[in-house]
Formats: sequence, structure tokens, C-alpha cells
Amino acid sequence: MNLHGLVILANQVVVSKPTGIMGALATGAQDFIKVFNKGGQNFVGLVGGIVPTLVVLLTAVNALVRIIGPERIEKLGTAAARPGLQWYPVRYIVLPFVSVFVLTNPMAYTMGRFLPERFKPAFYDSAVSFVHPILGIFPHANPGELFVYLGIATGISNLGLPLGDLAIRYLLVGLVVIFIRGIVTEFITARMMSKTAKEA
Amino acid sequence: MGGINRILVKVGRSVGGVVGILFQSGRDAIDTVIRNVLPFMAFISFIVGLILTTGVGNWIAKGIKGSASSLPGLLLISIICAIPVLSPLLGPGAVIAQIVGVLLGVEIGKGNIPAQYALPALFAINPQVGCDFIPVGLALGEAEPETVEVGVPAVLLSRLITGPLSVVIAYVASFGLYSVKK
Repeated sequence: MNLHGLVILANQVVVSKPTGIMGALATGAQDFIKVFNKGGQNFVGLVGGIVPTLVVLLTAVNALVRIIGPERIEKLGTAAARPGLQWYPVRYIVLPFVSVFVLTNPMAYTMGRFLPERFKPAFYDSAVSFVHPILGIFPHANPGELFVYLGIATGISNLGLPLGDLAIRYLLVGLVVIFIRGIVTEFITARMMSKTAKEA
Repeated sequence: MGGINRILVKVGRSVGGVVGILFQSGRDAIDTVIRNVLPFMAFISFIVGLILTTGVGNWIAKGIKGSASSLPGLLLISIICAIPVLSPLLGPGAVIAQIVGVLLGVEIGKGNIPAQYALPALFAINPQVGCDFIPVGLALGEAEPETVEVGVPAVLLSRLITGPLSVVIAYVASFGLYSVKK
């Protein structure tokens, strides 16, 4: 018999599915390893798809931040501390954006030190609420919590849809939300402070 | 000779400075990826593997599908996450938000949740952001102890209002996102 015939013969052999206790164990083992195979596939997809871009982007933005220097944004902090309606957007949109972008999570909250006490909780609220909406476009700001955005974004890219639209909308809506959050929290803080002042 | 020397030194210094900055940035980038990003990817991959191969996925899908593919459902999720007692518990490391995000992502990928709900969902799963960290965050901003005492409940209460509100804003902003061309 030549080799070709052997191959054909081998193809005709059908292994019956294992039954009984051994069968159950075998299926169990297969299902067990399937979980990790699937997870591994997912891991390779993430590492291959996201990490290369992320590394280069992180490098570029880190360099930019180093060149700008954290000292320069301190002026912005003092400007944001001024009272008056026109400084609200500076305090709860521009300052949180710049601090989260330049100082990243968690050092961004140190910018609160330029503000008077009554604005500090609102600024913290505003800044901390921005550490995820920024991730779609500037993942360097909070790489440890990337999956708040990436989890949902992966689903979108699995559908073959582009992510740019989602990322930019996430960022813009995030800016609107942190602005509202800043105002609401400032209002609540003011009420509570006057209440405790009366009690004292 | 002296002039040329000075120019050479100057050029050498500035080039060295730029290269130094870039190299250090690259080192930081690799460091963050290895320390923060890759471990989380490993952890998430394991969970995704579990979801996709076991029946857990279908079970979760049934639970989530109803609530995550309608505005009232998303509002409900955001209100639960914003409850002042729960929000600090759900906050740490944004782990809960990340896991729920991945779960929703898997369901969106399968087509169980419409893609345009991605944007409001991003806000619905996250009203608790930073609620565990308020005292530390305020301390980083050099706040007085009295401010911390007022600030913690102020932020927590504010979330109860702004959490659901953010979902509504995101819902409105998601009009035209991934809409099917007719």
C-alpha cells in the first residue's frame, strides 16, 4: 500500500466519542481548556491590536507633557480660582481638562490647591469625572483604567464600526458632564458649608 | 575656533536634551504598559474567555439586555451606581466599571445591544467614578479637614443628580451615532 492510500484509510477511521466517567472527564477537560484558549485569543487580540499604538502614543504624549512642564499650568490654576460667572467654565472645563491631560490620574487633583476651600470638592468631582471620557483619545491620562472605555469600544470594533465618532463624543459629552457636575457640587458644598457654619 | 566650539556644544546639548526626554518618555510608556495595562488585559481576557465559552454569557446577556438597551434601564443602572452608600464601594480602581464595560462590550459585539447605546452606557456604568477616592483626592488638593468633611457628602449627593443626568445628556448626544443608513 502506498502512502496515499494510508492517508485515505486514516481519514476513514472515526474515533467514537468517549463515554462513561472517562468520557465526562475528557469533555470536562476540553471545556476547561477551551475557556483559556478563548481568553488567550482575546489577549493576543488586545496586545496585538492596542498595545503597539498605545506605546507609541504614550511616548509621544509623555514627551509633550515633559516639554510643556507641569509648572506652566499653575498659572491657569490661579486664574480659575477667581470668583465670577465667566470663570466657571475655566474652573470646571479648562482646568480639569488640562490637569488630567498634563498631570494624569491621580496627580491631576493636586491642582485643587490653587482654589479656595469652597471650590475644592467641586473641582475634585469635575476632574475625577474626566479621567475616563479622556481615554478614547488620550489614553495616557489613565492607562490603568483603560477598560472602562475599551471594554465597550472593543464591542463596537467587533461590529466593524469605526471608533472615532464614539471617542470624540465621549470626550465632548464628558466635558459637558464635568461642567454640570462642578456647578452642582459647588452649589451643594456651599449649602452644606453655610449649614455647618450656623451650627458651629 | 571658540565660536565653532560653542555652537557645537550648544547643538550637542539641546539634541541630547531632546533625545533624553524622548527616551525617558518611552521608558515611562513601556513601564505603564507592563505595570498597568498588560495585567488588566490578562485579567479581562480571562473573564471574556469565561463569558464566551460558558453559559454565563447568555445568562448575563438576558439580565443586561433588557436594562442596557433602553433609556430607563440605563438610568436605573446609573442611579444604582450613584447611591451614596454603594458608590464608594463600587469605585476602587474602577474595577467594577471596567468589568461591566467589558460585559456590555461583549454583548454589543454580539449584536444583543444596539451600537448607539454605547455612549449612554459609558456614562451609565460610571457615576461612581472616584467616589472611593474623595478624601485622598481632596488631600492632594491640600484641602482642610473641614472641607473634606463637607466635600465627601457633597460629591456623593451631587452624583445622585448628575449621574442619571449624564446618561440623559449622553443619550441625546448619541443621536446619529452608528445609525443605520437607509
